[in-house]
Amino acid sequence: MASIPVRPCLRRVSRALAESNPRDTHAHLTNPLRRWTGSTLPRASSSSPFSTSTRLAAAAAASSTRRTGSTLKISRKSNAPTSGGKPPGRGERKAFRKKIVLSNANALEVDGLGELSPRAVADPAAHCRVLALPGAVVDQLRLLGAFKPTQGWKYFRRPATLMRAESLRLASVVDGMAEGKEPFRAIVSGERGTGKSALLTQAMAMALLKNWVVISIPDPKDLILGHTDYAPLPDTEPQLYFQKAYTARLLYNTARANRDVLREHTVSQAHPGLPSSVSPDMTLDRFAQLGARDSDFAWPVFRALWAELTKPGLGRPPVMLALDGLASLAGPTEYLSADVKPIHALDLAQVRHFFEQLAGRSLGGPLAAEQRLPNGGAVLAALSQSERPPRTHTAAVELAVAQNEARAAAAEGPPARPYDRDIDHRVYDALREVRALKVGALSREEARALVEYYAKSGALMAPVSEAFLAEKLALAGGGVVGELERGTVRAGL
Amino acid sequence: MVFILGINFSERKMVAKALQGFFGIGPSVSRTIMAHHHIHKTCRIGQLSQDQVVSMQSELSNMTIENNLRRKILDNIKRLRDIGAYRGRRHAMNLPVRGQRTRTQIKTATKLNRVERRL
Repeated sequence: MASIPVRPCLRRVSRALAESNPRDTHAHLTNPLRRWTGSTLPRASSSSPFSTSTRLAAAAAASSTRRTGSTLKISRKSNAPTSGGKPPGRGERKAFRKKIVLSNANALEVDGLGELSPRAVADPAAHCRVLALPGAVVDQLRLLGAFKPTQGWKYFRRPATLMRAESLRLASVVDGMAEGKEPFRAIVSGERGTGKSALLTQAMAMALLKNWVVISIPDPKDLILGHTDYAPLPDTEPQLYFQKAYTARLLYNTARANRDVLREHTVSQAHPGLPSSVSPDMTLDRFAQLGARDSDFAWPVFRALWAELTKPGLGRPPVMLALDGLASLAGPTEYLSADVKPIHALDLAQVRHFFEQLAGRSLGGPLAAEQRLPNGGAVLAALSQSERPPRTHTAAVELAVAQNEARAAAAEGPPARPYDRDIDHRVYDALREVRALKVGALSREEARALVEYYAKSGALMAPVSEAFLAEKLALAGGGVVGELERGTVRAGL
Repeated sequence: MVFILGINFSERKMVAKALQGFFGIGPSVSRTIMAHHHIHKTCRIGQLSQDQVVSMQSELSNMTIENNLRRKILDNIKRLRDIGAYRGRRHAMNLPVRGQRTRTQIKTATKLNRVERRL
């Protein structure tokens, strides 16, 4: 194929000249267009055909014809980063997502806002009052993971909670607990947004005020997702597994949140298998820290700490175990056994320990932990409706809860479904007799107290009238507290 | 840095990915190996205990992977060719082995099937 000769075009030539750097004196050697233009440019002004000065002058003249001002730039897609700024580092995005803001300097100080105190816990007149959480308790609750990023703490000056009927019930439990009394074990159930997690927070706050030891599993998904290490517990039949990193973190948070209480008690018995640094006069606080520091000993230390806390006759404090999101634990996990089968959550030692405490009896097998809680205490497990695991996990829990709710109301509950494949029978058997504490809609008085608190905080700008309250209650499913907050506080912001 | 089967892995590398780097180990086999040694799925090389590294090494050294597996596959093809099997001949002729049509779409066979097959 014959090549087409390039025809000289004056305009193209002058543009090429304009674009080339006039200071580059060697450009004429490398740029063919430039080399070629030397012979065709009009030379009227040049004295010598080989003078470089004329060529530079011509280039300068051509560049002076360049349009000034803004020009349209049609940019091509490029891989270069569009704007400056460092991308967020490892873990920063998650930290931002999980950030918990508990105060708002723009919110108004509420006049006459009471504070939750050991005396207020016992006071039935606190019903329908919004009580602030004391600062020290807030710090402890933060360590226990009692606040959730989705809750509306950030709209108010300081964290405060409404004392509703269910709160008073738990308050009377916390207040009336004494050594030798039957511990309170319950599954906190209810519709989405009814305040199950907030009730758990209140219960923990009241327990902390009463100098209980509070152990909290705020996000039980972490136990079953297969993201922390696990290992078989030796000499157990059926085989159990322990998660040392998770247990170490749990011990750390527990030790820090309950430091003052644990400092008052010392190790009272020998614990074989623990490092020699455990001395009889060691405080339980340092004992728990020991397990937190060395994760290889985390699980034995957790067991030993539990044995110490549940030892009768030494004036040990009552213990509260709290867990938010029970259904996550009600089925097989992401962990695999040595024969490559999913491990059931109840075969994880930490989970089994909680279930045994919740059920108040041994589930069979090797974990002979003290279930009676002789010094008193409470075991609370809340359901979560916003983070629902698959039906294979929820079905057993929901059936057990529905039956127990019906039993509490002296009504006939749904029958057992022995042939339902989605029912996890191990979980159902464990939870069959656990009392259900149903959290429902707020009463009208409770709702009024809460909405007035919103108005006093400045989060709600409308005047609170009967008609306003009736409208908001109707829109909030008759008093579902989460919806009420959404309709009043969040809607206005 | 941790040596597994003569290869040096960075401590930040995920165990599942490290295992899948070996010829003959894919997602399923790596999952099985990790389950045998109770290694969770997001574990990194640096988090393994010395016992786990040693026992995983011994399991890997008993498996037919890497050059042993390559040799085994080549031997199988060679055996087919030596006994004059149809499949052996198809391997040698750069043609599909398992009855696929040859009018179109035999790129993979043309690329891979050789008298001296390379893996």
